[in-house]
Amino acid sequence: MQINVNGTQHEVDVDEEMPLLWVLRDELNITGPKFGCGIAMCGACTVHINGQPARSCSMPVGQVSGLITTIEGLGTPDAMHEVQAAWVEHQVAQCGYCQPGQIMSAAALLQMNPNPDDEAIDHAMSANLCRCGTYPRIRAAIKAAAQNIREKSA
Amino acid sequence: MKIKLFLLKTAALILMPAFFATAQSVPVQPDEISQSRAAEAWSKVYQVFSHPRCANCHVPDDNLPRWSGPSYGKTSVHGMNISGGQSRIGVETVMCSTCHAHSNSDEPHGPPGSPVWMLAPVEMLWWQQSSKQICEQIKDPTRNGGRTLEEVAHHIQEDELVHWGWDPGKGREPAPYSAKETADFVTLWANAGAPCPE
Repeated sequence: MQINVNGTQHEVDVDEEMPLLWVLRDELNITGPKFGCGIAMCGACTVHINGQPARSCSMPVGQVSGLITTIEGLGTPDAMHEVQAAWVEHQVAQCGYCQPGQIMSAAALLQMNPNPDDEAIDHAMSANLCRCGTYPRIRAAIKAAAQNIREKSA
Repeated sequence: MKIKLFLLKTAALILMPAFFATAQSVPVQPDEISQSRAAEAWSKVYQVFSHPRCANCHVPDDNLPRWSGPSYGKTSVHGMNISGGQSRIGVETVMCSTCHAHSNSDEPHGPPGSPVWMLAPVEMLWWQQSSKQICEQIKDPTRNGGRTLEEVAHHIQEDELVHWGWDPGKGREPAPYSAKETADFVTLWANAGAPCPE
């Protein structure tokens, strides 16, 4: 079957029921999305499908239609996405394991809502867990990224 | 005289059972039979509509999906601060489709799924509603999606998300009966005038 990840078309020979996360990590060696809970409860595996966040650990690859974006495709070290830049600016990560999922969820939030208040952030990000408890820095980074995006588009 | 008395007693013994039989089985009007069958059919429909597999997503304007029923232990709102929002599909918060795929996860406690995954429109409230309340709602086209009762029965028989209630995935109790049986109960009840409980 064909899947498009970060703008590149891939042919993969896998069972349609295989979770997208397995295909990304084990078949394509795209290891940004992480395995956390395996049941869409922690958010570490979050990717975008056609710009919408999706938990790749619970998404059968046969059900995916459209463009897949992982943390590797959101931005690069030389050209970071605003959310990635804000994450660096605010030094959000501690252990870092959940952060690819956090960043992907935050980027999707700002796509839908360029000026989220605390309540909107809580709703959008509560299903992304961080055992290091970096939530205050996540909130600050999202607000900073939102401001940067608004200023650039003004 | 003794012979007359004997004949009278015999006649009484023969006729008395017939009298009691008549007294016990008062002729029932066809209409009453239909009403009683309709009430029974509706009570089964209510068992389905009020079952957690259905009612957990027919929630009020707090837009919060419920987790309730034997599979969940105590009743609670959906974990992780999840809200369907006014869109009832999570556009304003987190899209339901972020976690709910087109099919049930096979993993224990994994997310259930269906090609369509959303809260029912807010006017179709079933969560913690009485049999009378749901009965009146389902008959009201302003609160049932503009459907006739025939269309309601068809919806039950055809809709993918409705069907999920009978195929909810590992560890979740399905709704009682079947989609076909439930649609038949609705049809029977509707054909008898769709009486609601008092």
